Amino acid sequence: MQIQPRETARDHMSPAWLWTVQAGSGALLLGLLTAHMIAQHYVADEGLRSYAEVIAWLRNPVVFTTELAFLVTVTWHALAGLRGIVADFGPSDRVERLVTRGLVVLGAATVGYGAWLLVTIAGNG
Amino acid sequence: MTGRRGVRGWLDPRGRHSGMWTLVAGRVAGIGLTCYLYAHLAVLSLLTRGPGTWDRFVAIAGHPAFLALDAVLVAGLLVHAAHGVRVALQGSGLLIGARRSLMVALAVVGVAVGLVAIVLLFN
Amino acid sequence: MNETTDGEAAIRVTVYRRRAGDTDPHYDDFDVPYRPGMTVLDILMSIRSHQDAELTFRHSCLHASCGTCGMRVNRRERLACVTPAGAPGDQVLIEPLAGAEVRSDLVVDMRPFYESLDAVGRPLLRGDEHNHDGHRLEDCIECSLCTSACPVTATDGRYAGPAVLAATERVLREPRGHDAAAVLERADREQGAWRCHLALECSQVCPAGVDPAGAIMRLRRDLLRRHLALHVHRARNGRRS
Repeated sequence: MQIQPRETARDHMSPAWLWTVQAGSGALLLGLLTAHMIAQHYVADEGLRSYAEVIAWLRNPVVFTTELAFLVTVTWHALAGLRGIVADFGPSDRVERLVTRGLVVLGAATVGYGAWLLVTIAGNG
Repeated sequence: MTGRRGVRGWLDPRGRHSGMWTLVAGRVAGIGLTCYLYAHLAVLSLLTRGPGTWDRFVAIAGHPAFLALDAVLVAGLLVHAAHGVRVALQGSGLLIGARRSLMVALAVVGVAVGLVAIVLLFN
Repeated sequence: MNETTDGEAAIRVTVYRRRAGDTDPHYDDFDVPYRPGMTVLDILMSIRSHQDAELTFRHSCLHASCGTCGMRVNRRERLACVTPAGAPGDQVLIEPLAGAEVRSDLVVDMRPFYESLDAVGRPLLRGDEHNHDGHRLEDCIECSLCTSACPVTATDGRYAGPAVLAATERVLREPRGHDAAAVLERADREQGAWRCHLALECSQVCPAGVDPAGAIMRLRRDLLRRHLALHVHRARNGRRS
């Protein structure tokens, strides 16, 4: 007997989808974070790249794209995880909606600010 | 009279087993890492102030106290990652019969990677 | 070492107390004479017989098959009837199950739990009722220890909980006339299988070896496969997912 989950109007926000994206973003972060840590913290002589090195590094389109992907992924993963923790404390539907909207705004602001930083830094020098 | 343990129950793993300990550790690390994300963005904003500001920060960041904080960061990342890998695999129905083995394997890998990362950090 | 007023070796017992109308619970201490082989249920019976006739708790079969005497002993979910009381000088903390409304002392309201199981068709067949080759189908005794031990039900009563999700997985494997589609849909909601964070406490405390955590993981595997199949089906038919 093959039973399919029922299609709903909010299927793109279904808990199965959210869980899968959270697990997938975590898997993605394993790679992105490892690359970020090695590139930014382990191969630099002083432990961190100098100002000139950071700018030269971020001007590489592959690095820029990877760091942007890292920013988006880590922000999603962190804030969706935070929402999950809040949800575990059984807030009212109203509070849960407010928290979700607040985190969406915070996430957008974080990605916006991070992207601005990347563009600004890569454009310096 | 709900008898719910509430927040205290979630934060109190006394009498509980390894799965609960990893959940609490993974979540505490996750909250810490989220805070770190914003601290990291704040630090990176120094790069917009020019080479002098950033390079002075780089000199300070090489201090052993800063490196100790980096070691805590690496530990938090590994704790969270190990818990996440377990939840992602078994939460998808994989390796259901190897719960303890997976937990032990992830702990061993996590400790090994952590030790190498921290040694490299201080060298 | 603890002793009773008669000088007997004793176990120091701290018991959660709360009666209807009490605003807050409190804990009472008792020194219970030690007897070799005594269980936590023996302790409670001794207290009620000799020290405090108003202490309330449930029990029935005395051999771990009815699931009635579930409670938390030293912060772990146990069946009092088969849990050793310890040795003379030990301290034992006894509290009601968590995640349920306390009716009186160690007695909690089990109706919401039973009603949740009813909602999925209560498919947990006990023992060898339909199988005589010694292979037991399902051993759940509906004691609710798993629900009490689960960290998610501890903080959020909306979560379906391990027993109900294990029952759901059982229905999907063998519907036996139950409405499997409706049961699946309930498990696929926000308060269903996706709230489990794999603390695995449910399986650790289960006195009957049912392994609700394993059932939840299998249920999620099924749900993921079905969602994937649904998306593939939609993609093949050129519809928006």
